[in-house]
Formats: sequence, C-alpha cells, structure tokens
Amino acid sequence: MPKIETSEKLFFKLLGKEFTDSELENIFPYAKAELDGHENGTIKIELNDTNRPDLWSAVGLSRLIKNYFSQRIKKYSFFSDKNHSADDEGREIVIGKNAKNVRAYSCGFVADGKTVDEDILKTLIQSQEKLCFNFGRKRRTVAMGIYKNKLINFPVHYDGVDPDKTHFVPLHMDEDLTLREICEKHEKGREYGYIVKDKPFFPFLFDSNNQALSFPPVINSSNVGEVEIGDKNLFLEVSGPNLKDILLCANIMACDMSDLGFKIHPVTVIFDEETEFGKKITVPYYFQDNITCPVDLVYKTLGEKLSLTQIKTALKKMGLESDINKGIINISCPPYRNDFLHAVDVVEDIMIGCDLNSFEPVIPKDFTVGRLSYVENLNRKIKDIMIGMSFQEMIFNYLGSLKEYVHNMNTNDDKTVLIANPMSENYAVVRPSVLPSLLKSEASSLSAVYPHRIYETGKIVLKDDLDNSGTKTINSLGILVSDRAVGFNDINSMVNNLMYLLNYKYELNELDNDTRFIIGRCAKVVINGVCVGVFGEIHPQVLENFGCTMPTVCAEFNLDLLPKII
Amino acid sequence: MIEVKNLHPLEIKLLRYAQMNKDINSSDLIKELNYNIGQCNQTFSWLSAKNFITEISRIIKISYELTESGLFQAEYGMPVLRLFNLLNEKNNLSLPEISDILNLDNSDVGSAYGTLAKYKIISMTSDHKAYIVNQNLPEEILNLQKLLVRAKEKSIIDDEDLDQKEKDLIKSIAKKRSAGNSPFKVIEREIITYRLTELGFKAKEEIIRQNITGEEIGVLTPELLSSGKWKNASFRAYGLNAPVSRLITGRPNPYADYIRWVKDKLVSLGFEEFDGPLVENEFWNGDALFMPQFHSARDIHDVYYVKEPSHCKEIEEPYLSNVARTHENGGETGSRGWNYSFDHEFTKRQVLRSQGTVLSAHKLTNAKSPGKYFGVVRCFRYDQVDAVHGADFYQTEGIVIGKDVNLKNLLGLLKMFAEEIAGAEEVKYVPGYFPFTEPSIEVHIKHPKLGWFELGGSGIFRPEVTKPLGIEDPVLAWGLGIDRMALMHLGLNDLRELFTNDIESVRTRRGNNAKN
Repeated sequence: MPKIETSEKLFFKLLGKEFTDSELENIFPYAKAELDGHENGTIKIELNDTNRPDLWSAVGLSRLIKNYFSQRIKKYSFFSDKNHSADDEGREIVIGKNAKNVRAYSCGFVADGKTVDEDILKTLIQSQEKLCFNFGRKRRTVAMGIYKNKLINFPVHYDGVDPDKTHFVPLHMDEDLTLREICEKHEKGREYGYIVKDKPFFPFLFDSNNQALSFPPVINSSNVGEVEIGDKNLFLEVSGPNLKDILLCANIMACDMSDLGFKIHPVTVIFDEETEFGKKITVPYYFQDNITCPVDLVYKTLGEKLSLTQIKTALKKMGLESDINKGIINISCPPYRNDFLHAVDVVEDIMIGCDLNSFEPVIPKDFTVGRLSYVENLNRKIKDIMIGMSFQEMIFNYLGSLKEYVHNMNTNDDKTVLIANPMSENYAVVRPSVLPSLLKSEASSLSAVYPHRIYETGKIVLKDDLDNSGTKTINSLGILVSDRAVGFNDINSMVNNLMYLLNYKYELNELDNDTRFIIGRCAKVVINGVCVGVFGEIHPQVLENFGCTMPTVCAEFNLDLLPKII
Repeated sequence: MIEVKNLHPLEIKLLRYAQMNKDINSSDLIKELNYNIGQCNQTFSWLSAKNFITEISRIIKISYELTESGLFQAEYGMPVLRLFNLLNEKNNLSLPEISDILNLDNSDVGSAYGTLAKYKIISMTSDHKAYIVNQNLPEEILNLQKLLVRAKEKSIIDDEDLDQKEKDLIKSIAKKRSAGNSPFKVIEREIITYRLTELGFKAKEEIIRQNITGEEIGVLTPELLSSGKWKNASFRAYGLNAPVSRLITGRPNPYADYIRWVKDKLVSLGFEEFDGPLVENEFWNGDALFMPQFHSARDIHDVYYVKEPSHCKEIEEPYLSNVARTHENGGETGSRGWNYSFDHEFTKRQVLRSQGTVLSAHKLTNAKSPGKYFGVVRCFRYDQVDAVHGADFYQTEGIVIGKDVNLKNLLGLLKMFAEEIAGAEEVKYVPGYFPFTEPSIEVHIKHPKLGWFELGGSGIFRPEVTKPLGIEDPVLAWGLGIDRMALMHLGLNDLRELFTNDIESVRTRRGNNAKN
C-alpha cells in the first residue's frame, strides 16, 4: 500500500480549507485513504487502492475530496485525443528504431509558469517515486525524469544505444561513465540496472545537441536532470514498455502540476512504427475508452433501487460525468484514471458516492445448513478422549528448521517439503510430522511439573509423487508422554484406549528401521492391512538432540487413513 | 470462644498433657506422649504460632553417640585391647602379622602399638616383633572401654550422666563432624522449654469441655468401614485454608478452544466448513483470484515457494483456460482484463498458501447456490517473525452464494459477525480495496474492551473471479481478523504466544472467561 506525506500547508491550500484530524478521518474513506499521522505540519496518509495511482499524491487526493463535496468536476484543456491534437509549439520527442528492443515507449510534456518551492519539489519527487515504484513495478514498467527545460534543445531523442559507447556524468557523481559502467558503479545503477542489463541496447534520452538527459530507467544526467527550488520551467518524461501505462502517468503528473499552478505545454512523440494510437501522439493524451454500466447491475449489486439522479450525483461526487440512456450508464473516464476493468468498478464508485453507511444492512434470506468438516469432527472426538487421559492439547507453528524437523529426529529429508526462498533457516521447512513439534515443546518445558502429557491434531506435509502437486497435506495426531519412568507399555495402553474408544480394531506389527525409536520398543498400528500410525519409546539419541532429559514415548497417527466413523 | 476444632491431634494431646506454670520440653513429650523428635518440634511450632505456648528458655544439651566403629569396639574391644590380648596369647608377632590376624588396617595396628608403647606396656624386638613388657594396662584405656560398653545399650550417652573424669576422657576422643574412626560423635541439641500461655490454657479448657481427645479419626479407611469401627469414632475436622496440592489435568489448548468457539458460531449461522492442502500453486493462490501475475503481493518477498517439486503437474481445465483468458482480455466475463500475456509456467509454480481466500476460490468449483461456506485455515507469509507477524497463522474466511445476494446482504452479514463473534457495540463500514472483490468493504467495530478496530475485509467477488470458475450467481466474500480478539480473550499481547511451546504456560493460561 502506498504511503505518502504532505505538508499540511500545501494540502489545505489545495483543499481550499483547513480540516481537523477527525474530519480528515471521516472524509479519507471516500478515497480509500487512511490518516496515518499528523505532526509538525506534516500529514501522513496511507492509500489502499493499488489501482488508483492518481490518488497517491496530495494533489490527486484533494482533487477527489473537493469533487466529493462540490460536485464540480475540474476540466483540463491541454489534452489531445484521437480526434484532435493540441499545439505542441514544435516540441517533439523522436523515438529511434532500437527503442522497441529494450524499452519501447517514451513521452513527456513541458510545464512552466510556477516557481518550484520546497513543498512542490517534495510533492513532485514523491509522486515520481510512487508512480515508478508502486504503479511502475519498481521502474520496470514506468520510469520518470524531470529536467530543467531551459537547458534542453528540442527535438529530444529516445533510442536504444550501445551501452559501452554512450556516456555521460550521472546525477550525484562527478565521473563521466558509460551506461554499462553506470550499472556497475552508480547506486541507482546497481538498484535498477538489472531491468535492462541483458539487452543488446540500453535506453537513452538526449537532445538535439546530443546532450544526455538520462539513461532510463536508471539515472538522469547531472547537467539537466536535477530539479531545484527556484526552477520554473520543467520537462517531464516517462518511459516504459507499455504505452498506456506511461501515458496514464504523464496524464496524472500533468493534471497534478496544473492543479499546483503550472501551465502545461504539450510535446508530440514521433514513433518509429505505428502504435495503437497512431505514429504521432501529442502528450498529455486522452486515451481512455468510454465506460458503460447497466443500471440493472447497479440495482442488483447494491440491492437498492436508486433513482437515476441519485446515480448521476453519486458518480459526479466521484469525479465522473455520466449520462443514462435506455438503462445504460455512459461515463467518460477522467484522463488521470484507467481503473475501470468491468462495469462492477462503476458500481463501486456509485456505492461510495452514495455513502456506504447509508445502505441498510439486511441479513441474507437464504436458509443454509451449517456443518463442520469431517476432520474437525474427528479432531473433537479425539480431543475428548485425549483430555480424558490427562493430555494437554497443544497448537504449534507448521514452519521450522531442517535441524528440528529432520536432523534432530534421526531421519532424512527425502519426503520433506523445503521452502525455496526461506527468510531465515528457522522457518525453512514445512513439518513432515507432529513429533518434532512435540519434542521441541518438551525440551522447552523441562521445568514444568512432570508428567508431561501433550498432544496435537494438526497438519503435516510430505512429498507424494501420485498427487498433482507432488505433495500431500495430511491431518495428523501426535502424542507425547515424558516422565521419570515411562515406557512402551504406557503408550501401548494409551493407544489401546484411544483405538477402543474410537471403535477401531487394530493389530500391532513390528516397526523396522525407524531410527526415531528404540529398536524393539516401537510398533506399527495396522487397521485392515493399512498402517495408520506408529508409536514407541523415543531413541535416546533423539532425546539428546532436542535436549530432552526425561524418558519419552510418542505416537503419531495419519487421521486421513483411519476408516471413516462419523 | 477459642477455635479448637481444627487443631491437629498432636496439638490436642500436648494441650491436654500440659499444666499451667509447668515446663514442657521435647524429652517429656517423647517419654509421656510417645512423640518422636520431629513431631515435638512440629507441635511446638504450630502452638507457638497460635500463641498457645511460649518459650521459657533454651539450653544446649551435649550427648555422645556411638559411631559404627564405636559400636564394633564396644562389642569386640578397642584395637589397643585386642592387640594386648593377642600378644598375651602369642608373643613376638610382627605388625603385619597382627594386622592379618586381627583383620585391622596397618594404620590402626600402628597407632594401637604406638599407644601401648607410650605406656611402656609393649616393646619391639630387634627383628621387629612386638612383645609384652608390662601386664598393667593404664586406667584410661580400661575406663574408655567401660564407657563404650555403657554407651552400647542406647547407642548414646548424655554428657550430664558422666563424671568429670569421664567427661575429660570422652572429650579427648569424640569428634563433632565426620567422626570416621573415632568411636564417639558429639551431638549438640538445643532443648527448648515452653509453658502454656493464658490463651493456651483457655484452649485446653475448651478442648476438655468439648471432649476432644486427639484420637479422632483422620483418614476414613475401607477397614474402618468394613469393621464398623467408624460407628463409635468421631471425625477430626479439617482446616479449610491449608495450602492445596497442584493437579495436572488434561485440558484443551485455550487458543484452539477459541478457534473452536468461532467455528461453532459460524456453523450456528448456517456456514459449512471447508479445508484444503497447505501447498498451493500460483493459479489458485493468485491467478484464480484475478490478481495479475505481476501484482506486487506476488513477489518473491511475499510468498514462500516450494523448493521441490517447484511446479505442479497440471492445472485443472476448463479453469486454467478460462482464467488465462480473463487475465489477458477479460474472456467471457465482461471485463477488459489485465491486458498482458498470461504465463502458463508461472501459474504452476507451487507456493505455501498465503491467504485463506484461496480455499474460497477452490470452493467455488463445487459450491451450491444458495450456499454459505467458511474455513479457519493456516496461511504462510514471507514476514519477519515478531509480536504481530507469524511465519504461519490462521485466517478466517468464507463466502455466501445466492441468486440475489447483494451489498446490503454483505453489510447484514458483517453486522451479524460483528455482533455475534466480536461482541461489537457499534459497526462502521469503510470502502476498501482487494484485487478480487468489487465493491470492497472493510468493517470497523467498536469493541467493549479494544475500542475501534478493523474486524475484517469483505466484498462481492469480481465476475472475473466467479465466472471463470463456473459461478453465475453473485458471491459475497469475507475474512475476519480473529487473532486480535483471541489475544485479548487469552490475556496476551504477542501473536507468537498463541503457538507457544511452553507446556506450563498453556497449562495455566486462562485469559478472560467471557468469549468477547
């Protein structure tokens, strides 16, 4: 979830009035935002909608809030669309033929008429970061640069270039480096270089004097690529592999900067080949399709027969102009949004526009029968029996270390499911048995009054070639008794009682080659020729591995193999 | 009136025996009431605490107890006497020969010879043979042997029973600690003398008035029952405030118990439980929920991958084709899709289930309409384990399917959960965001103890989720965060404690008895 910070001065100026924290807490939900903190003149906000990058700035957020209360939708005059291109005053970005082999698209616009102050600088840098990191997937799909426009000579060129022959002085360094060297030596190169590293060409943005602007998506040039307080003429450029994504980001930035008081001047991008919007696109460019939503879907989804005026008003509060014709709502999408995938997305905006808390909660009327799963019922039956035998029920984590789950148990990891990307070796293995959980618990409870009788019914995972996943999740019962004097006969009696009360006839077979137990003091529990469990005296080596100091007996059952009883 | 019913028989007998202004001490009790020394001390301590008796004086009494070696010497004679007697039978023996015959250590023989030689009773020939030179044994040796014999009867001899000569003699050989070879061990005992207090005297009168003898029955035995002796006996009353002994009982785990309570609640509201495997694939864990494959929550830093087998064999059709189309261009769902090329290899990659909603998606493939389903299921997240993050944890999730279910029903359902499961005083709904629901709603509740907090997330499944899985009716989906209430309920504030290994802490954990 993106989190942003803004100075309260700027935020309240954009909103047109000051708000108390509790007022902010009440209005933020309309934007799926939360007040995260407010101190020393700084407001912290968390934005929950990952599909609404236009709300990830104080400017975009205040735009929606102002709309909500005024129902006046701000229009922006600088957009071109498929029918009309705004005057670019001769500013062009020319895309070279090698760009498509590395990072196909670039676009931009010029903004002037406002002096960058500290608040504006912070807002611009933050928007750039959020759009590139959260929406642009850590710059993979969106990278953005803001430049001192007065130093640039149009047309600007964007192309794939030889990374070993192209060089410039990157921001925050004094050295003239090739693009490949930047990937190795510059902090940002090490962070983002991987995106283009294996390509034959690297993206490069430069002006008609061959002056470097940047190496997208890695770093701007030191000369023109640093915006400072006092600047008032900026060039903003966005690059990426998906045209719509970069057009959307350019639109969001253009609207934000316009709201901040800048005048936006379009720039025409001339591509090497036809794109879905033509070979020449004048940016900011309105690319969105109109959206429709049947009124019936609104009724059905919200459960409320809203009037058409209510629907239109709700949409207007959310910044959406609409008209309703023959049961269909037609909406023109704002230029800074592209999150309408389905008509239900419109329904949600209507819901928020109507105020969610105005809908009356109604209990669903369908009658259905409640039911526990088979294994839950079985677990409860077992719980009653185990507690009757003085056992303490335990509940353990399922992730642990290879040492605990495998090595300490004197076994191997043939059937154990390991995690490919563990965060720590303490949580690197899914438990293949409940017994190590019980033994670990015993070892951490040496000072608890004996006898220790503990059990758990829970899940374990083992490899299983027959399953589609190559693994099997098994419902398992594990039992442990630890005491000064406890042995095979004790656990044998308990197993006998458990099986008797669950009404199973079973026989005991010898258990060979199970190194977890003392040879000759362990057994298999067999029902109808199927081994459903094992029990016995835990081998002293295993006890020593875990740090257990008392004789210990254990049993483990595969509950999924027990014939069904309920 | 003084309470005497709860006095122990030992106390009662002492009080009955004691006289006003007369000394009481342990040797009297041993003699007259047949107490052992431990019982004496215990009774004195109980009665002193009750202020029924008071200490008058304490003196140190010295006694000499025969050691093992002393007992032997009392029976068979001290080594010096045995050596003297042997040489009287057979003169001219070397010390090793003597040691052999008498079965004594060389050192004992050596020191016995030394003693007798000092008194000029025996001497040594030039070829190292001992012989007697004087038959008159010194008085000390004979007196010491007499003392040994005298002590033999009770194994002990009191200092006060000895004359001064004897005292000096015994002091010269007795040792205080690790007496070892010495025949006597010095025992020092403190003799404390008590007398009845005024209060004690009143207690004594009360005991006599109530005719309590101290012979009342303590434990009722089968023999008393079968012999009928109980008929003529009275039963001693027990003190109510004596410390109780600890019981180790069988017990449900309090957290498991809480989950059980939540499950029962949901069943009572008409929900059927579902369950599923811990190992999932990207298809069910994300794709089927319409999370684009490039979604940030599907990063290597959010989900645990299974090392081997890293991919499942296949994804069930027609779900795979339906979902892939839906991601790419919306398929038949009326959506425009995510507009990227669906990765058929990535979708088979296996992960540990990262959200309970996976099982809701699975359930859609065989759910009935109308239907209500839920699961309290273990999930895994790539998180640093701390007080608020577990490597694995429970999520409570469910769905409601019905021809006409809608937003208002979702709100109704959330209100029901808030009141029934969380005991909420007030409920507030807030627009939320989840990739698989639209609209999405968070429910915030005012809990009587915890105040306002987010109880859960919910929404109506997107058509992009339901239609590819064969469901045409709307589906309400919800998830509840019950761990916060579980912690409050159990009186804990660290999630790790819910899955603790510590047996003692689970045995003794109670938390708040009220469920909410």
